[in-house]
Amino acid sequence: MQADRVRHAVAPALGSGLLFLFLVAGSLLYAATGDAAANSLVTQMLINAVVVLGIQIYIGNTGVLSFGHIGFGAIAGYAFAICAISPERKLRQIPNAPFGLAEVDFTPLQSGLIAVTLTVIVAFLIGLALSRSGARSGAVAAVVITLALLFVVHEVARNWIDLTRGGKTGLSFSPLGNATLQGKLPIYLILLGAIGLARLFKETRAGRLAQAAREDDLAARVMGIDPAVQQMIALLLSVVVVSAGSALRVFELGSINPRLFFFDYTLLTLTMLIVGGRNSVVGALTGVLIITVGSELTRNLSEVDIQGMNWLLRDGLTDIFLGGAMLGFMILRPAGLLGDWELDHWSLRRLRRTEPPPVPPPSADGDKTPTTVLKVTNVTVHFGGYQALADAGLEAASGEIVGLIGPNGAGKTTLLNVITGLVESDNGQTALGGVILTGVSPHVIARSGLARTFQNFRLFSALSVRENIGVVRLVAKHFRRDRPLPPVGALMAQAGLWEQRDRRASELDYGNARRLELARAAAAGPEFLLLDEPTSGMSDSESRAMIDQVRSMAKLIGAGVVVIDHDLNFITGICDRVYVLDQGRVIAVGTPAEIAANPAVQTAYLGTAE
Amino acid sequence: MIELIQQIIDGLGRGGIYALLALGIAVIFGVMHLINFAHGELITVSAYTSYWLFASGLNWWFIAPTVIVVAVLTAVIIEFVAFRWVRGAPDFTMLMTSFGVHFLVQALFVMYVSANFRQFPRPGWIFDTWRIGGLSLEVFDLAVIVATLVTLLGTYWLLQRTMFGVSLRAAAEDFDTARLMGIRSNRVIRGAFVLSGVLAGVAAVFWLMRSGQAGPTAGLNPMLKGVLAALIGGLGSLSGAVLGGITLGLVEVLLISRLPGGTAGLTDGIVFLLIALLFVFRPQGLITVRRVERV
Repeated sequence: MQADRVRHAVAPALGSGLLFLFLVAGSLLYAATGDAAANSLVTQMLINAVVVLGIQIYIGNTGVLSFGHIGFGAIAGYAFAICAISPERKLRQIPNAPFGLAEVDFTPLQSGLIAVTLTVIVAFLIGLALSRSGARSGAVAAVVITLALLFVVHEVARNWIDLTRGGKTGLSFSPLGNATLQGKLPIYLILLGAIGLARLFKETRAGRLAQAAREDDLAARVMGIDPAVQQMIALLLSVVVVSAGSALRVFELGSINPRLFFFDYTLLTLTMLIVGGRNSVVGALTGVLIITVGSELTRNLSEVDIQGMNWLLRDGLTDIFLGGAMLGFMILRPAGLLGDWELDHWSLRRLRRTEPPPVPPPSADGDKTPTTVLKVTNVTVHFGGYQALADAGLEAASGEIVGLIGPNGAGKTTLLNVITGLVESDNGQTALGGVILTGVSPHVIARSGLARTFQNFRLFSALSVRENIGVVRLVAKHFRRDRPLPPVGALMAQAGLWEQRDRRASELDYGNARRLELARAAAAGPEFLLLDEPTSGMSDSESRAMIDQVRSMAKLIGAGVVVIDHDLNFITGICDRVYVLDQGRVIAVGTPAEIAANPAVQTAYLGTAE
Repeated sequence: MIELIQQIIDGLGRGGIYALLALGIAVIFGVMHLINFAHGELITVSAYTSYWLFASGLNWWFIAPTVIVVAVLTAVIIEFVAFRWVRGAPDFTMLMTSFGVHFLVQALFVMYVSANFRQFPRPGWIFDTWRIGGLSLEVFDLAVIVATLVTLLGTYWLLQRTMFGVSLRAAAEDFDTARLMGIRSNRVIRGAFVLSGVLAGVAAVFWLMRSGQAGPTAGLNPMLKGVLAALIGGLGSLSGAVLGGITLGLVEVLLISRLPGGTAGLTDGIVFLLIALLFVFRPQGLITVRRVERV
């Protein structure tokens, strides 16, 4: 537990502080050696860093691509300007402002708070729309909705002249548009807050669940995670940071117009985020640094006059640099320079060396847990004209291992999909301990006590073995409190994954990936483990070892097992009872010995004697 | 009644161009699962081509076919330089790649031509109208409708009756299986880009006849319209894209004529909002392409 706290709270917090100090020290050094231009460059960079960190909180954790964050920035920027500009200036610029806004007079701090609050309310509505559209990593609907936000805010800002003074002139704090922000303290404070929030959010429950959903939306839901909730939390936090940064930006520039928060700024901030690594806080900041330096260099270079180089050193070089950086990184290194590495990760290696191997916990006592029955009855499913299941069903009691066999296309996986809520059945019913689970969302079914594995892996591939199990255990700690929930270390040891604990799931070989699927499902603290071909692709000896693994894992968490497999040796070696499916129907039930002797089964499953 | 018929014809004229753009985007989405936000760059390049050719004293009869050829070449070059390298990458990577291409091409024009828009003459006949009964039919709308129909029929023939078309449809249906069945992925993907280039080229000719200007951001508006139309149509579906384009054209014309004075400038914003709402309530688009995810 101690190690967990270091890993998820202490080290990240210290790392964030260090990162902040590096950034501020570097900025001060650079500003001290330069002139006013250097000073303003540094200020802008720090403000951009705040905005980019805000975007990172959403895109990095959820994987949902948003083009709308700069639209949120525009709302915050205008709200801030309209509140903070002095009434006498407003009467000159927007005398007809609605709701008497021309007369209101707020301090910059009050205006900032109003701007953040208002923007967060808008973000909540957009968040509802996003979850309604089923946003997930790479989702098109999210792109459309967020782009629409950016466009609509822009159009409103251009056309609502009474409020915004339109697109040509915009609003300004002073007639000359001078900078109004005195001193850098507000920027430092907000930057520190943004770094800390972005880094620590990654380690919070919501952040970790969002990352799991980012890696595999469907697997996350089947493990009891409701991505919509985590995405909403990420969105609101990210919008708090983006709107604070945007208000700062307006204050620093001393004016706002619709172009300030539109495509160009979206491109700039997204490129910053992507170059350094969108999944990492230190990555986002590295990106801000690289792009700021690069833009400044290319801007200066474009004004240099060198004989024979004029084809390259000319206006627009900065745009080429930005577009080229975005394209180049997407093609050559889509995860960015740093991937998901964080500053505090170097300390974890030491932690890892001193980590004691886990002590196997006592197995759950089968006698103490009351018997629960999983009862699936009369399930019929059609895919178009094809009948996948006809009146199929099964029954399993806790402590029991039930097998489901049948030839390809018999409907085994479909039955599992119906039970876990991924496929809707035409009729039929699933009941777990008397509670009916038909027509319920997959994540609710998972929380009720059914956890499954997938025939073709659906691991959270960019997360480590430890995190794959840990994130599911987080959910279980919340919803399956009354179940025996072995610690992550014990589950890893039980599945033979202790040595691999800090490797990414995507780096595991076939057998280890299968065992991780099993351990992850077990971490959900289910009443029943539903295993979809746990030995497919395994050698004879591996699949024999899997028999023990499944048995001991089921014992450890005190769960019953329903297992699909092709491998007759495996099924007869492990099951108490076996159901045989053929063409969507249950054609036989019985002990492995009875099944092996059943002539109907032999015909369907093994083919007729030649 | 007459007014409505009039508006429908106007809408078809607009929607025809959108349909061509959307179809080009849907074809690419079909084979690569990529939403090509760089599709508008084909129009940008075409616009500058027209500008330069006009400046050297040529007329539309020469420029129109040249624009189509240029659009095809641009499509093939973009595929070769950028999209080829991200085939099969996660959706996030592909989306950002197409945005990267979009911004990069725009930047190249800013750098080597100018950030300002350049004007070129529009053909005289596009303003002609024919009066039939109470209807005043713009010759231009009729030309668009006819050209769209011809192009769509040609595309239909290509997709249904040629080996290439069958491969393309197979690849759009299930790319991996199509490859296993011996369809050459390089050739199909390049072919899809050529086809999308042709469609964009035809659309560009009409788009440019009406706008008469070239600028670094000339492709932005047609790109957005094409993407929106393709989205309405459910992205993967080719007939959906055509329907989506026509729907978008009709909705725009009806909105413009019905919005109260002073708010007509918001048409694009409202259309965008409507489509976002469509996605909130029907994430799969108007025309659903059923895809069963295997688990």
